Amino acid sequence: MVMTSGASSPLYAKRRRRNVMTMGFAFAATAFGLSWLVLILGVLLWEGFSGLSLAVFTEMTPPPGSAGGLLNPIVGSLFMTTIAVLLGTPLGMLAGTYMAEYGRYDKLSSVVRFINDILLSAPSIVIGLFVYEIMVAQMGHFSGWAGAVSLAVIVVPVVVRTTEDMLTLVPDTLREAAASIGLPRSLMIVKVAYRAARAGMITGVLLAIARISGETAPLLFTALNNQFWSLNLNAPVSSLPVVIFQFALSPYKDWQKLAWTGALIITLAVLTLSILARYLASQRKSS
Amino acid sequence: MNSVASFTVPNVTHVSTGTEGLTDKVTVRNLDFFYGDNRALKNINVSLYQGKVTAFIGPSGCGKSTLLRVLNRMYDLYPNQRATGDVLLDSQNILDSSQDLNLLRAKVGMVFQKPTPFPMTIYENIAFGIRLYEKLPKSELDNRVETALNRAALWGEVKDKLGANGLSLSGGQQQRLCIARTVAVRPEVILFDEPCSALDPISTAKIEELIDELKDDYTIAIVTHNMQQAARVSDFTAFMYLGELVEFGETNQMFTSPSDRRTQDYITGRFG
Amino acid sequence: MVDVAFQSEAIPVATQADRSRVLQRLRLSDSAFHQVTRAAAIAVLVILGGIIISLIHGSWPALRTFGFNFLLVESWNPVTEKFGALAPIYGTLVTSLIAMLIAVPVGLFIALFLTELCPMWLRRPIGIAIELLAGIPSIIYGLWGLFVFAPFLQQYVQPFLIAVFGHIPVLSTLFEGPPYGIGMLTAGLILAIMVLPFITSISRDVFEAVPPVLKEAAYGLGCTTWEVARYVVLPFTRVGVIGGVMLGLGRALGETMAVTFVIGNAHRISGSILAPGTTISATIANEFTEAVGDLYTSSLIALGLILFVITFIVLAFARLMLMRLNARVGV
Repeated sequence: MVMTSGASSPLYAKRRRRNVMTMGFAFAATAFGLSWLVLILGVLLWEGFSGLSLAVFTEMTPPPGSAGGLLNPIVGSLFMTTIAVLLGTPLGMLAGTYMAEYGRYDKLSSVVRFINDILLSAPSIVIGLFVYEIMVAQMGHFSGWAGAVSLAVIVVPVVVRTTEDMLTLVPDTLREAAASIGLPRSLMIVKVAYRAARAGMITGVLLAIARISGETAPLLFTALNNQFWSLNLNAPVSSLPVVIFQFALSPYKDWQKLAWTGALIITLAVLTLSILARYLASQRKSS
Repeated sequence: MNSVASFTVPNVTHVSTGTEGLTDKVTVRNLDFFYGDNRALKNINVSLYQGKVTAFIGPSGCGKSTLLRVLNRMYDLYPNQRATGDVLLDSQNILDSSQDLNLLRAKVGMVFQKPTPFPMTIYENIAFGIRLYEKLPKSELDNRVETALNRAALWGEVKDKLGANGLSLSGGQQQRLCIARTVAVRPEVILFDEPCSALDPISTAKIEELIDELKDDYTIAIVTHNMQQAARVSDFTAFMYLGELVEFGETNQMFTSPSDRRTQDYITGRFG
Repeated sequence: MVDVAFQSEAIPVATQADRSRVLQRLRLSDSAFHQVTRAAAIAVLVILGGIIISLIHGSWPALRTFGFNFLLVESWNPVTEKFGALAPIYGTLVTSLIAMLIAVPVGLFIALFLTELCPMWLRRPIGIAIELLAGIPSIIYGLWGLFVFAPFLQQYVQPFLIAVFGHIPVLSTLFEGPPYGIGMLTAGLILAIMVLPFITSISRDVFEAVPPVLKEAAYGLGCTTWEVARYVVLPFTRVGVIGGVMLGLGRALGETMAVTFVIGNAHRISGSILAPGTTISATIANEFTEAVGDLYTSSLIALGLILFVITFIVLAFARLMLMRLNARVGV
């Protein structure tokens, strides 16, 4: 308790001043941080929205100077993202299952956990180089498959982490209840634990999709780019992020416009997925 | 004072429930249990009799739940926990490494302190265990589910909402659902680990009634910290203290004139 | 109440044998599942091993040709095939340093605001806003940086900096040069905005993990909010904060797209942060598809190897710090 005599002492006044100053800093820092969000999203909406039209979704990328859309990069991105999720999710889920169930206390799990966290934050351009070495260099050409694989490598650590976290949250009493009716381990995991952790695991997959939707670097030298319509995954495939990269750095105004529109599309997709994931997580809490 | 000296031989002065004699369903011999290096159970010798309810009482930390969890080898799910000695279920030693754990647990069911319905519908909660072992046509599966729910005195309350999530029931109902789930698998022994401590008095009374009805067909062991409950529900009582079985005998005898002074002190509330 | 007319539930012996048979059949799939999950866990390790091996393999020609000098030579000449990593490494380190110098204090202060000052109803929205900032893909930052931020810096901020520091001896070299708009400072600033949400959310999480009794004890003595933060919260969470900062640093070091747009892509080391430069990831992103010749490609992969090693060390350190905090808090 502060004594009344101390309240008027110069030391106390100094302490109070310092407190007010630093709290002011804290408030200013928050305003500073939030204002960037407003600035960036604001500009994105402004620039991207004005270029948004049906044509963007129905026409292919144009040569500079003509009108066009973003159909082939959108389709290409959808393809590669889907394949990446189909490849990476089962692997990630199984690994996370091992770490949370069978190997919860063993050495292998702690090593994998450590390595997984590093992979989670590893520079994605390095992942691109890795897939270049093992696929593009081996196959002799760029391909959509290579692009999908590099995205899958980014998906795996995200899914491993969320699967392990979610399964660990399932209470042991539920597992014991399953064991007590004679359920073998694998069935206990698949039929009881997975079901209990289902919402959380789906959230993890959504987050992984959001993460790879905006990834450019790993695609730069795996899937490369393709200005024509192509569904051949064994050849270069265009993707939204790479097209944005190319168009933005070009000197052509209409290409730059399309770049902004593409950026808006990606951001809206990522935000929608994040909101969906958050909604699912809150559903889980209320059940 | 060791447990053998206090072991009260069941004799005919106690009115039994009409069976000729008492058969050992589960026999525990020289059981030690370790959490790591810590010896939690010391030289336990006790029997569970067929068709009877045996209560395990004692202060916190005396090892009664630990003992119960040996009987269906639940501890096997965790590292650093082990048991030495013999536990015979119908003259087969379940501590043997050749014992199939899943088979054991289908024979020895368990109801836990906290109700834990599976995250499925009420119907599925019961059918799940049945389907594991038997391929039944739908009508017969429906019958089995109804029987199990009746056994647990829950059928009337849920028969119109079998498709509802198991977690939507009240605490007492959830616990009865867990009991129904356990009996659906047709075990021979049911272990109750403080089944009522998370429930209100009315639900508790219902479950105690249930236990009384179930004992005709099952051998029951119940761990409880509520002595009055033990007195109400059980035929035999075992008093445990600091990892040892101090005294075992018919419930009436134990509560009116126990042989061991520690039992006396606990029952009269001097400690624990 | 219970219907009394029931058959006994005594189990016929036949059922026991049936059950045994069912369980036998399940045993195979049971152990198969176990092995499959185990293999998947090992696969994660294999991925990491694969990355390291393929990077070493790909960079071998360059490493063999240039040896250790690769790290020390500044020139990067595709024509004469003389490559040196010094400029990209310098650029990576400088931009990350600028980013951390700004993001760490700001992030800590925001975390302080969120945990001590912010009214309850505002906490979630701001928390969500921070997460949104973290979720924006880096190419958006790059786009915004190139078309909005860089011109702004070029017009207003950089001339100001040049004017202010022009006459101070040491700092004038730091801020000298024509105001390009793009350059190391711009890249560093954008990285700061990108890294800020990570540091903020990790700091906020560790601040919230401080046991309330500890803070109450300090408040009870009459400490101001700032004093509680400085003398109780920060020391207690120091290890976790360092872990969070390292995590942010790891991100800054590896960031590609945001930096590529605004760094200027000049392979040279300059004393001024207003000058263009390059980072490892920007170099790779810009030049890889046009690299002709094995030595060129291999040098680029060697750059990737260097980046991976640096980030690996930083991230491993971060993990260890966070593990120690968890042990301390008792998680």
